[in-house]
Amino acid sequence: MLRDKLAVLSDARFIFALIIALGVAAEFVSGSTVQIWSFVLINVLIAQSINVLTGIAGQISLGHAGFLAIGAYGSALLMKSLGLPLPLSLVAATLMGAAAGWILSFAAGRVREFYLAMMTLGFGMISYEVVREWTGVTGGVAGLPGVPSPALRTLNVFGVNLGEVGYFHLMLGVTAIVLWLLRNFITSPYGRAFFAIHVSEVAAGSIGIPRAGTKREAYTLSAALMGLAGGFYAHLVGYLGPESFHLHRSVEALVMAVVGGLGTLSGPVLGAALFTYLPEQLQFFTDYQFMVYGLILMLSFVLLPRGLAGLVLPRTRFIKRLTPLRSADADGRGTEAPAAIPARDDETTPLLRVSALAISFLGLRALDDVTLELKPGHILGLVGPNGSGKSTLVNVISGIYRPDAGRVVFEGRDITGLADYRVARLGIIRTFQDPRLVPGFSVRENVLLGAHRLYRQNQLAAAVDWPSALREEKRMLAGADKVIAMAGLSALADSIVRDLPYGDQRMTELARVLLADPRMVLLDEPTAGLSEGELKKLALVLQHLKQQDIAVVLIEHHMEFLRDLVDEVVVLNSGRVIYRGDMAGMYRSAQVIEAYLGGDSHAAAPAGGQGGRDA
Amino acid sequence: MLEVTGLVVRYGSIEAVRDCDLTFDTGTITAILGANGAGKSSLMKAISGLVPAAAGTIRIDGEDITALHAHRRARLGISHALEGRRLFHSMSVDENLRVAWEFRHRGNDFKTASDRVFERFPMLATRRKTPAGLLSGGQQQMVILSAALIHEPRYLLLDEPSLGLAPVIVQQIFAAISAVCRDSGTTIILSEHVAALALSVAHQAYVLKQGKVVRKGAASALAVDASLSAAYLGG
Amino acid sequence: MEFTLQLAFAGVCVGSAYALIAMGLSLTFWTTRTLNFGQGSLLMVGAVATVALLGAGVPAVAAVALAIALAGALMVVAERVAIRPLLKSGDSMGWVVSTLGFGLFLQGFVAKFYGSQAIAFPSLIFTSLDFVDVFGIQVSAQYLAVLTLSVALMVAMEIFLLRSAWGRAVRAVSHDADVAALAGIPVRRVVVLSFVASGALAGVAGVMVAQITGTVDPQFGFNLMVLGFVAAVFGGMGSIVGALVGGIALGVAEKLAGGFISTAFGDAVAFAILMAVLAIRPQGLFGRREMTKV
Repeated sequence: MLRDKLAVLSDARFIFALIIALGVAAEFVSGSTVQIWSFVLINVLIAQSINVLTGIAGQISLGHAGFLAIGAYGSALLMKSLGLPLPLSLVAATLMGAAAGWILSFAAGRVREFYLAMMTLGFGMISYEVVREWTGVTGGVAGLPGVPSPALRTLNVFGVNLGEVGYFHLMLGVTAIVLWLLRNFITSPYGRAFFAIHVSEVAAGSIGIPRAGTKREAYTLSAALMGLAGGFYAHLVGYLGPESFHLHRSVEALVMAVVGGLGTLSGPVLGAALFTYLPEQLQFFTDYQFMVYGLILMLSFVLLPRGLAGLVLPRTRFIKRLTPLRSADADGRGTEAPAAIPARDDETTPLLRVSALAISFLGLRALDDVTLELKPGHILGLVGPNGSGKSTLVNVISGIYRPDAGRVVFEGRDITGLADYRVARLGIIRTFQDPRLVPGFSVRENVLLGAHRLYRQNQLAAAVDWPSALREEKRMLAGADKVIAMAGLSALADSIVRDLPYGDQRMTELARVLLADPRMVLLDEPTAGLSEGELKKLALVLQHLKQQDIAVVLIEHHMEFLRDLVDEVVVLNSGRVIYRGDMAGMYRSAQVIEAYLGGDSHAAAPAGGQGGRDA
Repeated sequence: MLEVTGLVVRYGSIEAVRDCDLTFDTGTITAILGANGAGKSSLMKAISGLVPAAAGTIRIDGEDITALHAHRRARLGISHALEGRRLFHSMSVDENLRVAWEFRHRGNDFKTASDRVFERFPMLATRRKTPAGLLSGGQQQMVILSAALIHEPRYLLLDEPSLGLAPVIVQQIFAAISAVCRDSGTTIILSEHVAALALSVAHQAYVLKQGKVVRKGAASALAVDASLSAAYLGG
Repeated sequence: MEFTLQLAFAGVCVGSAYALIAMGLSLTFWTTRTLNFGQGSLLMVGAVATVALLGAGVPAVAAVALAIALAGALMVVAERVAIRPLLKSGDSMGWVVSTLGFGLFLQGFVAKFYGSQAIAFPSLIFTSLDFVDVFGIQVSAQYLAVLTLSVALMVAMEIFLLRSAWGRAVRAVSHDADVAALAGIPVRRVVVLSFVASGALAGVAGVMVAQITGTVDPQFGFNLMVLGFVAAVFGGMGSIVGALVGGIALGVAEKLAGGFISTAFGDAVAFAILMAVLAIRPQGLFGRREMTKV
């Protein structure tokens, strides 16, 4: 198969050899070839920039040329007017891009989908107008000539005059480093978090990934890449005019990334090379450029959903190639639970105390005076008819909804109204009715997302593969192996979740919960869609959690399943607790029978609940 | 007569309805019972055409309607009131009824048709101009029933009509359901989580569990059957 | 003062055209929760086709009508090719990118076959030298015609939506397509209808704006689409009155900024307003907050 033969292309040694070969070859090929190669490198940075934001973090941008303009004019002006040396002005261009991205993220982080598309379009258009109209600084329509450039022999680095080949070498080296950093980053927890945000912000929050902060990182990183590309571009061409930063530049960036393959590392490189060479080689392409770009954008999502890379290249990995660290050599620490477990109070102290919760939606009381307690190592079944408020209760505890009244206290701390990802970081991990996994991730990659709250190394350490970050990753990988085995998924650990049956997806989600080293787990209908065999595994996992002194709340309709597991059931009806006690008592409770089966006394249904025990 | 044979409904990799055979006799009320997620709503949506049948056939009076779009089935006389009080909130009661009437009426004018449903629910007549979103839950349920009945359908599908309503309203609604069947000979299919309520008006019933029919029989027989509580409470 | 009033009036007229564009964008949003990012090119096609047909000797009324019909027909193609196949993914990125591609294709097509230079748009009813005296202010007859026509079309649309069976069907599909289908409404046909109307409205707006600006080029329309979107967002993507108020506010702000700061700055101000409105109140000034689903 072509894909297997091309696997060599993503081999690190091959890529290293390619870079060296390109560097050497540049000495011998014609000046125009070096020029094209230089443009390929700039387009690689541009395509990676949009890939980071749109392909990986899922935030569409139609105004990326704006960041390019900031980097280009920034570096050109700093060097031309202030006489800054090239390395510094390139660093400044990168930082200026990053700052612009960071600032934009505050506005853009608030909107989604096509609203975001329009907003970024607006950003691109403002940037273009400013470049065109701010004549005093940018030269306006007349442009900015005389930018220090190798072609004009005006580019000096520390006293050495840099020629076209020298400049190409510089760009090649920097681009190679950038790609290496990117690869390290997307195989780190922070890179994987971008994908989690992409798929579901709510689900990401439930495993401790903050949506606003993660988006801000994505914008900043993406815009920094674009700023750097802009800096390189300015000095390569030696002249800047507003037309280079028009909408079509943003579109071109998108085309390169989309055709190459969004969400992969190799795709944008392919796309950049392709769309630098095509206009050079094909007159036809130049004539019909807009029509071709239009057709590509129109059809590629349908015909080529994963781009060229998805078609011919091996899949991009989101895990480093590391040997998991066994517990024996884990410098004295266990393979899991790197987080310090707080000293526990007396056994009888409840872990969770929910008191007098109430919440309404559009005048409808979804929860009314709900009070309950949960001790460590106890399993609580949450039962009730459709629309009785079970999911709402879990949403309030996990920080998705803020209650109108009442308190949620966890380990003695009032967590009412705390943001969902902060709740998750305290060790309250929940699932949803439908498994919310990253469909393009393998089982192992999805499970690792669960550990997000446990990572202590920062983004910088992750991007440079700092030894401590690698050690931490090895520890997490070992933990992941363990929970994957527990969920019975060892044989499927490297399978892509999208291709797995529903039951395996649910088990993957369960493994992700386990790896989070939770203090309390909230599962929303975990048995739905599971086979008998999977149900047994689920029961074993729940018993394991109980032994670990972890508290569990189960929303369930499957009573046979609950019967052998739970320490207590709480029955909700119309947002009120109508029964609290053991399973046997539930079947005898007049109110419960009435809620489910109705009866002559139907008129008296939810009265007298008050969260107390059924007499 | 409405016949469902070998029906399968799938959402992605999940099978919500698995190989179900059901028959609904003309002029009777049939209750569909079962726990959450048993497949009641999916079954009804497959009958009205909102979700496609992955396998099996649906016939009304011998005519195969499995391939028809929902709006074509609606014009053939199938009315379906969805779960969760879904109506057009920003439209007035009158507009809700008009929308329900104007694309599938058979000859009669709107005034006659709406007057007839207001006879059944007189309290709506005084609120004709009120946006439906501002009505109480019970009144909204009445608007939904009125909209479902305004073109005098042959088949009426009701999904959880009692959900979230005060008991006194529930009794009114169920009285109206009985009356519709008695007066107009409409075939009614009713899903309910309050089993006793549904069985008190139904002639026959089916019990679903995990997408399959696990019991069928006369409503009176099922009402005293212990396996019913098992289907609901799993005990 | 006179100058300010003249600017404001021009802003009101241009703003009413923005509102018309907003209405075109909103129509498809109601029925499918999508909108055409290539809508600007349909404005351009409407204007360019009018010029081409007039050049071929077609009478003015027929030329305009044909151009508008062409825009409507193209929108049906856009729905079929660039929107429907991409709705399954549930993610907006696919159709945003593909409709943008559709617009770029039309832009490239016109640039290739009619040249990328600006071409003159002939005066249809009034010339740019015709002025009317309104309360002592000299007002361009062309601007006044645009305002009148825009407002008339919007009133007609409002009446259509509120009073006619198909208008009610559009609202029904917009609110809940399932319930609409169960009421016997042919949902697909309503969707196609909304796309035809949306394209036709874009064509009308294109002809009207070209009449004011006097020239068209392939890029004509792109900025207008974004400005129309700003007006639509003011109306919360749902209300025609909101879009009209939003469009007019935007038009006035743009013209005043253009008149007192610099002409080109007008657009930048409009885009800045777009970003601010989206960041502060994404659901629009007239829209209601949608309930968050988890």
